[in-house]
Amino acid sequence: MCLRDWRFVVCLFLTFIAVGCKGKPVPPEVHEAELQEQALWRAGAALYTPEEYDQYSKSLRAAKDQLIKEKAKFPLLQNYQEAQMAFQALLKTGEDVQEKVEDHKLRRSEAISSQIASFTKRIDNVKKLSRMISEGRFARSLLIRTELKMRESDLLYRRGDFIEAEKKLKEAISYLQDVEDVVFSVLGRYRDESLLKKWETWIGETILESKQNGAFAITVTKIDRKLAAYKGGRLFITFKVGLGPNSLADKLHAGDNATPEGKYRIVKKIPLSQYYKALLLNYPNEEDQKRFVRGRAENIIPPGVGIGGLIEIHGGGMDSITNGCISLENEDLDKFYDLIDVGTTVTIVGSTRRQNDLFFGQNR
Amino acid sequence: MIRLSVMGILVVFLLASCSKPQQALDEAKAAVEAAKTEGADIYSAEELKALNDSLTAAMDEVETQSKKFFKSYGGSKGMLAKVKAEADALKASIPERKEKAKNEALAMMEETKAAVEEAKTYLENAPRGKGTKADIDAFTADLKGLEDSLTSVQESIDAEEYFGALDSAKTIKEKAISISDQIKQAIEKVKK
Repeated sequence: MCLRDWRFVVCLFLTFIAVGCKGKPVPPEVHEAELQEQALWRAGAALYTPEEYDQYSKSLRAAKDQLIKEKAKFPLLQNYQEAQMAFQALLKTGEDVQEKVEDHKLRRSEAISSQIASFTKRIDNVKKLSRMISEGRFARSLLIRTELKMRESDLLYRRGDFIEAEKKLKEAISYLQDVEDVVFSVLGRYRDESLLKKWETWIGETILESKQNGAFAITVTKIDRKLAAYKGGRLFITFKVGLGPNSLADKLHAGDNATPEGKYRIVKKIPLSQYYKALLLNYPNEEDQKRFVRGRAENIIPPGVGIGGLIEIHGGGMDSITNGCISLENEDLDKFYDLIDVGTTVTIVGSTRRQNDLFFGQNR
Repeated sequence: MIRLSVMGILVVFLLASCSKPQQALDEAKAAVEAAKTEGADIYSAEELKALNDSLTAAMDEVETQSKKFFKSYGGSKGMLAKVKAEADALKASIPERKEKAKNEALAMMEETKAAVEEAKTYLENAPRGKGTKADIDAFTADLKGLEDSLTSVQESIDAEEYFGALDSAKTIKEKAISISDQIKQAIEKVKK
């Protein structure tokens, strides 16, 4: 073998190595696609638009495989045109995915925001109502948990973590529904059309009676916590009143803390009462006694419990929580106490109108 | 004979770096997976993502070289070694991050317990009477709800869900402080 042969072989080898090592530069779209993929990941594309992101990832893989195929060729034979086109198409797809992600997040954000606002109203509403019922304590405990979950949801929402925010919102809604079940089981009767009709009739009859005999008559609307005094059928004065912890229920027996519903009369005026002054009502009336007997027969009244009594309109302040009575501020009571005679009609009703969605929550 | 020997040496030289760095590849993959298992997806998601991207790039480089006639795995070996080293470092850093998150959650839990206790003390000292019974009942129920929720926070800590526990504890603390303020206001109202 001569020297020339050696040189030829070595040159050929070095040329091969040099050509084999130095490839053509890859298209700039490759780096752009890498950055785009990272941006999509950060934006949460996998979470918010999983199908689109999955499709994008597959396209990215396919484009990369195309690139690998070309990179593996001898530099002289490398042609990145096809791979470049694949990456260009991928970048376009990526832009669409990015747009969808942003759109999806915006819609989700708006939905969560609106739900938080709506549920906050429901919570406030049910919180007020929970104080009117005997199960208030249980409801409040659940309500606090609802509020906590709502707050956590709100925090996550503000952080832009809409998926976790939605999870917390669902937990909050679940608690809220439990609370509403408790509260509305007591308050459901305020949507009972026949009962509302009966209450309206009682109020109408009471005002008519006042008109006919020119005397005073008193109506109490429990849901509004309002006492109205009529004289000669005309509204004389109204006051806000305080009621007991289970005031919205109809009184059935002693100790239920409910305020009775019905048409009563003042049977005694008590000028020196434990609660300033008081007007004693004839609870239980005939209707109350019948209901009590029925309740006994149906075993809805605990054994050994009486029907109760001593239901009064008294002073002591609106905040003086009663156990079925109707309490007023002393100065309010003074404004009509002396004008009221024994025998005056006092009609107590739950409500005079159907409670609307604001009361019961729009989704109930 | 000499020509054949030279050609043989050249072939051996060319094929010397032809073997796929399978071991380095497996080690890098295992290291990334180990970092994830340690909790990198929770405590260092960005770094884990970068690591996964580097691993994919290294695997692509291996794939590129495997398709070449003249294979050179030197670059990909370097890439894989870097991935492994970074994954090991990430994995090693997780316990410290986890501990930090745990301590933050525990500290917040203690602050929250103290806030609930403070609210309970205010409530115990609130004047009891006919006028305050409903408020006291309501606040008592509220605090019961907070105490029940604290149990859930402890459960989250036990389950090593420290970020969630921290958020929940913070929220309970805020509520407890708000209840304390309401009780104080109610007491002031009664005093007047």
